Amino acid sequence: MMIQQSTADAETHQIASVVLFREARLLDNGEWNDWVAMYQEDALYWLPAWLNEYETTRDPSTEASLVYHDKRRCLEERIARIESRKSITALPLPRTVHQISNLEASRTASDEIMCRSVFSVCVYDPRVGKEQVRHGRYEHTLRLTGDEWKIARKIITLANDKIATVLDFYSI
Amino acid sequence: MDTASSNSTVRLQAISRMVEDRPEENVFRVSRSIFVDPEVFDAELRYIFESTWNFIGLESQIARPNDFITTHIGRHPILLMRSAEGKIGAFLNTCRHRGTIVCPFKQGRQRFHVCRYHGWAFDSGGRNVSITEEANGQYPPFFALENHDLLPVARLESYRGFLFASLSPDVLSIGEYLGDARAFLDLVIDQSETGEVEFIPGGSTYTFDGNWKLQFENGLDYYHFASTHSSYADILRKRCEIAGPEAGFTTEPDGEQEGQGSFSFDHGHAVNWSIKRRQLYGRPLGIDADRLDALRRRVGDARAKWMLRQRNLTIFPNLQVIDISSAQVRTWRPLAPDRTELVSHCLAPVGESAAARTLRIRNYEEFFNASGLASSDDNVMYEFCQTGYEARSGGATQGYLRGAAAIGSTNSPHARELGINPREWSFGAPAFGGETNFYPGYREWRRLLQRAAQEVA
Repeated sequence: MMIQQSTADAETHQIASVVLFREARLLDNGEWNDWVAMYQEDALYWLPAWLNEYETTRDPSTEASLVYHDKRRCLEERIARIESRKSITALPLPRTVHQISNLEASRTASDEIMCRSVFSVCVYDPRVGKEQVRHGRYEHTLRLTGDEWKIARKIITLANDKIATVLDFYSI
Repeated sequence: MDTASSNSTVRLQAISRMVEDRPEENVFRVSRSIFVDPEVFDAELRYIFESTWNFIGLESQIARPNDFITTHIGRHPILLMRSAEGKIGAFLNTCRHRGTIVCPFKQGRQRFHVCRYHGWAFDSGGRNVSITEEANGQYPPFFALENHDLLPVARLESYRGFLFASLSPDVLSIGEYLGDARAFLDLVIDQSETGEVEFIPGGSTYTFDGNWKLQFENGLDYYHFASTHSSYADILRKRCEIAGPEAGFTTEPDGEQEGQGSFSFDHGHAVNWSIKRRQLYGRPLGIDADRLDALRRRVGDARAKWMLRQRNLTIFPNLQVIDISSAQVRTWRPLAPDRTELVSHCLAPVGESAAARTLRIRNYEEFFNASGLASSDDNVMYEFCQTGYEARSGGATQGYLRGAAAIGSTNSPHARELGINPREWSFGAPAFGGETNFYPGYREWRRLLQRAAQEVA
């Protein structure tokens, strides 16, 4: 029993790390279409704002967030904006390296996995030769759709929320 | 006059001449130096930000006794509090003992603020209530006679819940200072049945590596929208195709001439506005026809019409109130000639419907956040400008002349509708993008520096 349980945990952890690391790689490589295809159509993508030194916003319908999208279409709009080459924020695009660690994953239903992890994203802007690090926590909810694990929900708690100039999906 | 003060006078006069304003020849030039020169920057902090009215917050941010927020006026850290008795006060956020920041938090509710360094304590009215071990302090006799309270700002006044403070006593009343620019604060405030506005929780702070005046100018600049924000406009156009009534689209009444215009007021304030049959975006006021009718009955057709127009209001030197698909209050804090901190809040009328509130928040996030789709472009553009301004031998830029050949001073039909008398006005085609509405800010900038030059003499 113990052995079966730990095998299942290992499998859950394995699934979660494959999904999260793949997402990070696709973002760093600028493979936006493959990245956004990892999300369900009704996926929640949410960066709460900080209310004070200790708490983030909790109710997106009455409080402002840094980013709040409840449809994949909103992420696709962001991608189209970057790819149009009309947004100065992406000319040139910063180079990013996502690092994810401290992953904990648990099976909350046969078709659902909850993941908690921490991230740091190094962002280098070749335009000005400046770099910065964004860091915080991710919460992913993965759902089995057909034979594929999709991202149903991603909540990003950004620790250093005084944003330098610009923040977008690829740099967080 | 000693040599030092005579040098200061000469320098301040030289700085003030970096804005060249000759209306009789249609000439208005701004030297690149005012964006990059550290000496100019120091003069701005001392003789502009720290010598006139600054917007420091809304009364509703400190609605209850003992509520506080912290902010800045120029370099000075400020603690804005409501006392236990309900009185609003603004103080230098610095302990009378050794200068330590008394309140290190962004906001909260506290009856007392105790300095962490040696334990001097102040109540929410700014009164000193405790000097640690005073009896054992072997203080000289005059110490007990000195005042130990937090130092209040020289002037603190409210205009309908917008709080302004000045470190200099030598300012007009806030009503006189704002003048007819008040009509444009009213257009935001009176969207609420009770005449109250509030910040939606979740304000954000961001920085850009550029001079504060880039933000000042950009908020008055419609010319940049089509180019700088073309990728965002593409998104809006696409959404228009599928938008339903929940998006809140509104239309101008028949017979209104489309166009873009501005009003320039005294003391640095200005507003630019646009009249479009149909905007690219909806707005919270537009999602509920019954409520909109009720608003028209309450404020009249003319003002309701203006409430549905895009309006960018600048209150010199540190406030912009933008009312478009959502409403934003932004304030800036100059950190260095080439570095600025922006604080952004979503502004809302108290009492709007839940659906209007949520639309307001979504529209705000995507337009105004540094993590959104429009202000982010501006921030990067400021940095491009800042880099470009380092071409100091390039002379003055040509960025202040759109509209210079047709500045109006009387008989604006638009002003008449609002019952105001702006100092100057402009109006042109929808793509006009006039720049003469930058003039009042720079004229006030120059006036304050010239005043300082006389005072140090």
